[in-house]
Amino acid sequence: MPFPRVKSKGITVDKILKGIENWLSDLFGNIKIVEKALLGMEGSYVELLTILALGLLAVIPILVPQKHRQRWRHINQVFGIIIFIFVVFTCLGVFGMIRNFFRGLNEIGRENIIALYYCSVPATILVTSLLFGPAFCGWICPTGALQEFAGMFTRKWTRQRKKDQYPFSWPVLLAVLGIIFVFLLWMYRLSVTRTFFIEDSSIYWSEVLIILLFILAFRLHQWDGKLRRLRTLSFIIIVLGAIIGLRITSPVHFGFAKVYDPASFLSTVMVVLAALVVPRVWCKYLCPWRKVVGWAGKHSVRRIKLDEKKCTQCGTCTAVCDLDAVQEGKIDLNECHMCFSCVDHCPTKAFTIVDEWKKTCLRRPVSQGDSFRENRPPGPPAKAFD
Amino acid sequence: MRGTAEGRAAIVYTGNAEITEWHYVYKSSRRFETGSAVWASPALAVIAGRPMAFIGGYDQTLHALNLVEKKVVWRKITNGEIQTAPVIGKIDGLDVVFFSSADRTVYAYVAYNGRQSWTKELVPPSPTLGDVHLSSPLVFNNKLYITCFAYDKSLSANKQEAHLFCLDLQTGKIYWKLLLSTGFLSSPVGFIVSGRPHIAVAARRGLLQAIDVSHKIPRRRWSFQMPHEVLGSPVIITDTDSPLLFLGSKYGNLIAIDAARGKERWQRMVGNWIDNTACIGEIDNRKIVFVGSHDYRVYAFDSQTGDILWKTALGGEVFSAPCFFSLNGQPMVAAAALDSHLYIMDARTGEMVNRFFTGNPVWDKVAKGETLWGSPVALEAGNNSALVFGSYSDMVYVLPLVKECSLTSMARSSGTLWFSLLVVLILFVSIILPIILRLPGKSDD
Repeated sequence: MPFPRVKSKGITVDKILKGIENWLSDLFGNIKIVEKALLGMEGSYVELLTILALGLLAVIPILVPQKHRQRWRHINQVFGIIIFIFVVFTCLGVFGMIRNFFRGLNEIGRENIIALYYCSVPATILVTSLLFGPAFCGWICPTGALQEFAGMFTRKWTRQRKKDQYPFSWPVLLAVLGIIFVFLLWMYRLSVTRTFFIEDSSIYWSEVLIILLFILAFRLHQWDGKLRRLRTLSFIIIVLGAIIGLRITSPVHFGFAKVYDPASFLSTVMVVLAALVVPRVWCKYLCPWRKVVGWAGKHSVRRIKLDEKKCTQCGTCTAVCDLDAVQEGKIDLNECHMCFSCVDHCPTKAFTIVDEWKKTCLRRPVSQGDSFRENRPPGPPAKAFD
Repeated sequence: MRGTAEGRAAIVYTGNAEITEWHYVYKSSRRFETGSAVWASPALAVIAGRPMAFIGGYDQTLHALNLVEKKVVWRKITNGEIQTAPVIGKIDGLDVVFFSSADRTVYAYVAYNGRQSWTKELVPPSPTLGDVHLSSPLVFNNKLYITCFAYDKSLSANKQEAHLFCLDLQTGKIYWKLLLSTGFLSSPVGFIVSGRPHIAVAARRGLLQAIDVSHKIPRRRWSFQMPHEVLGSPVIITDTDSPLLFLGSKYGNLIAIDAARGKERWQRMVGNWIDNTACIGEIDNRKIVFVGSHDYRVYAFDSQTGDILWKTALGGEVFSAPCFFSLNGQPMVAAAALDSHLYIMDARTGEMVNRFFTGNPVWDKVAKGETLWGSPVALEAGNNSALVFGSYSDMVYVLPLVKECSLTSMARSSGTLWFSLLVVLILFVSIILPIILRLPGKSDD
């Protein structure tokens, strides 16, 4: 050859890691079951199935029978993962939906079909959340579902910690340090093999997530409510990014977009690992989309009401809520995912699901669901749910 | 679209003039819109015995560069960005550069001295007219074809129209225009089926259409719906019994389409987006399709069977169309990636043979998959062979392939990444966290 070749000096570990990366690349590159829109709009790549599936998934919480409702909910979550990760090509990422909404707004008047495509998913979620409550988070969101399924493995242990008001424990700290080690090691590997761009900023969310985990290992009970304000900051950053045209991929983005996105994949793994230690940790502290859905949920027609006469203060509802959104029967609308766990597990059936059309339309939401978290006394622990 | 219908962007130069390294920059203090295509792809031609490159860009100017003497032969300023590659055609035996600008106009200038042959405004001005996107022109069948997407922002008009235009090569007179879509269109590609000239154009929203242009009134021959968004243009193998079109789409589908019938011949998946045009090269009497993807790889497929011949990982997302060329008899492929390197691979095996550092972007961020940046072109001249590439670093590089080049293989540092992680850690722990914890009021209202 006329010029020198670039030789790569590979060692065995390096080759193994490269093999894994190639395998991941091939795996995620072929993650979709179908390669063409099943219900594509003629003359465009716009996938109508997205809206139909989202609409269907959003009304299922209303349609399913009360009996085995939690089982139906998990089926719905699995169906959501199958549809949005394996079938359609629409981004249901918690960053992407905000970004796409802005992109859709910008396309109005230029390419209206594309504008409809990008705006329809967040608009559908917002409308259904205003009508049926924030069931998207509890019944559909693949990021939330992955955390919930991961959390099932450690549920017994995390609920016991919750019962004890999250005391410091060495196993928790060791688990957190283990997650930090995985993050740093992975980052090292990526830093020497990939080039990072602003789109890969989800690594910073991962970094903040592991810092939070470390803090939560010591101060979960004391700082829980205040740290949830980070969602607002997260939302502001993503919105500002969307306005100035930054494209930041979120956890699970690689699944929606059928791409091997190392930063997004790393973020997803971090979210799942973190959810083993603190259930739904991403939803609680960092999810920007939760800020939007939470707002819609506060103004929604559908809500959960407590019959105080029936409530025996047994603490079951508090114990079963992964979001810590229920405290002695009072539901924090900022946090509730409308998973109906509290409703279904209440031994006295003190909760009922009601639609308050008139109230919601005419005046501000009732104060029952206003946040209680700040003023929560450090008093006696909630009764355990067995 | 650049170069030939096969997407080959290389020309042969048989002269003896020495071509040395050249970094060309024009008005480098200019401010760029973030993510904009600083330079479009260049076109090469040998004009009056001297190899020349023609390249336009964000500066609204077309530059005619003499690669031997390393000087600008002429420049022509337009009233809009030049976002696509020019093409070289002939009018009355003279080499003419045809190019388009976002000022809604197609230009024809004599390549030798920059004398204007003609200009043609394709869309009438309007105070409510939005950005106008003109593709690379196509010189085919003694006519000039070009696509144009324009939209009107006024609520009453609300027009979103993308047309294929057919112009007279000599005068620029518009013969006809055909409405093909209400969105962006790719550059046209020309081919002959059953003795009749056809034009294929892909809409960004995924509809590939073939137009029979043998009559005075164009006729749609067939259409093919791509599964996803299409950012590149189709390329075609024409010298076979059944011409094949190749087009890539977002999410990585590379599809070979029978150009006569508009039916899929084969489809292959790559690992990530294909956001530029493929290119076709011939090795050992076998046509090979090369395509770059955002999965960091360049792929080589057998054009007839779709069999994958090799795939080679580069250091970043491959945003450019690959450029197939011959270097002293050896088939090579060049492709630019988002790690700011231009790579050269052996087209037979995919083995990496060289790379050049072509500068960091002029902006502080890169929006992947939303901008078509320029692609390299090659001058096949034996030991004087060179690549010409307009980089997003604001430079146009002429890079000798055999002789010494100062930009060869610059190492990449990961220090910036770790520094940014440290900054986030410090910011979060020392500023954000204390503020969050001290703010009065309820939790997340």
